[in-house]
Amino acid sequence: MGEQGMSNLERRYRRLLRVLPKWYRQDREEEMVGIFLADRTDDLDLEHSWPGWGETGAVLGLAVRTHLAAGAALTGVPARVVWRGEVVRALGMIGLLLGVFYAGSAITSLAVAYGNPEWAPLITWWRVLDLGPLVAFAALLSGRKTLAKIAAFAPVVLAVIGLVQPEYALLWSLFQLPALVTFLCLCLGFHREAPTPPGRRLVWWGGGALLLGLLGGFATGTGLLAIALVTVVLRVVAFVRGDFVLGRALSLFAVLQLAPLAFLLVGGEALILALPLVVLLVLSALAPVRKPRARMS
Amino acid sequence: MSEQAFLVLTALAEEPLHGYAIVQAVEQLSEGRMVLRVGTLYGVLDRLVADGLAERDREEVHQGRLRRYYKLTDSGVRALQAEVARLSANVRAASAVLRGRGVQPWASRA
Repeated sequence: MGEQGMSNLERRYRRLLRVLPKWYRQDREEEMVGIFLADRTDDLDLEHSWPGWGETGAVLGLAVRTHLAAGAALTGVPARVVWRGEVVRALGMIGLLLGVFYAGSAITSLAVAYGNPEWAPLITWWRVLDLGPLVAFAALLSGRKTLAKIAAFAPVVLAVIGLVQPEYALLWSLFQLPALVTFLCLCLGFHREAPTPPGRRLVWWGGGALLLGLLGGFATGTGLLAIALVTVVLRVVAFVRGDFVLGRALSLFAVLQLAPLAFLLVGGEALILALPLVVLLVLSALAPVRKPRARMS
Repeated sequence: MSEQAFLVLTALAEEPLHGYAIVQAVEQLSEGRMVLRVGTLYGVLDRLVADGLAERDREEVHQGRLRRYYKLTDSGVRALQAEVARLSANVRAASAVLRGRGVQPWASRA
């Protein structure tokens, strides 16, 4: 049907559907418009009505799912869309592992502070939020995606609480950037219909991150070094194994790590530590990724 | 299985339906509790098709509009069966508990 015979309402619905990816619309648009307009025969209604909030929300939700190809939940998805969704989910998972690492070191530093009257003011009830990523990680692996998202929001809350000290606000928020990105990745990539990530393998990763964090809590200042080194090593592994998804996700992760380091560099602080890390992370971010040919179609 | 998916499967178990008919059937089956939005319906349908529980059937043009029908597959029937068994077991257990308290399991509707 051309634009000519179209009612205002139909035009508005079609405009709303433009948030869906083209490959999806080509297949589904006519069918969906048919449902939107079924039973709508009143001329006045067709002229002056708009898509409701509920319908708009549902289409936006569908747009997120289709743009990020919720794993296997769609058929006939272009390969690049599948990759995009996988990278978002992998980045969310890496961010959660970082959160688990931080949670581990928070446990250690709180335990150390507990025995020391000088540091006692550090222990406040909201430090419980430090454990959010641990809860989120466990919840995600057991398929409880909503709980995972709520728990992953905890570090974001901590970040906002930390902003009350204005002199450190910028540095602090740069350090918290990964937490925010992780939360967004979880929200975008792990909706109800998304596949539950493979538990067994990731439990080992989570355990490793927690252990590293617990140990790292004793040596303040080594956190960034450890994270950057692990990032670089994994990035090399991803390249050698031709793991496109992990490689791309780690590149993005390296960029996130770069922000606070760059700030330190500009401020002229910790130059000896920060400079080599920046170089390594830039390499991680820019290094090529190989696509396994057999799996691309 | 989400309640939405369960109701869509139930609607399709009767006969192959097009999108709008699914929305109506689900509303009827749930006695008006669940009105599927179009975006939600397609999220559920995509998942069911990808899982092999439902598949595309014929296409028709009705008053100048495309209607695509969906039907249940054999494994869709089995999935629905399994879900019904699971839910019935829950209902039986809960009913037994209520009866134990001397309460009727099915309260009459106001």
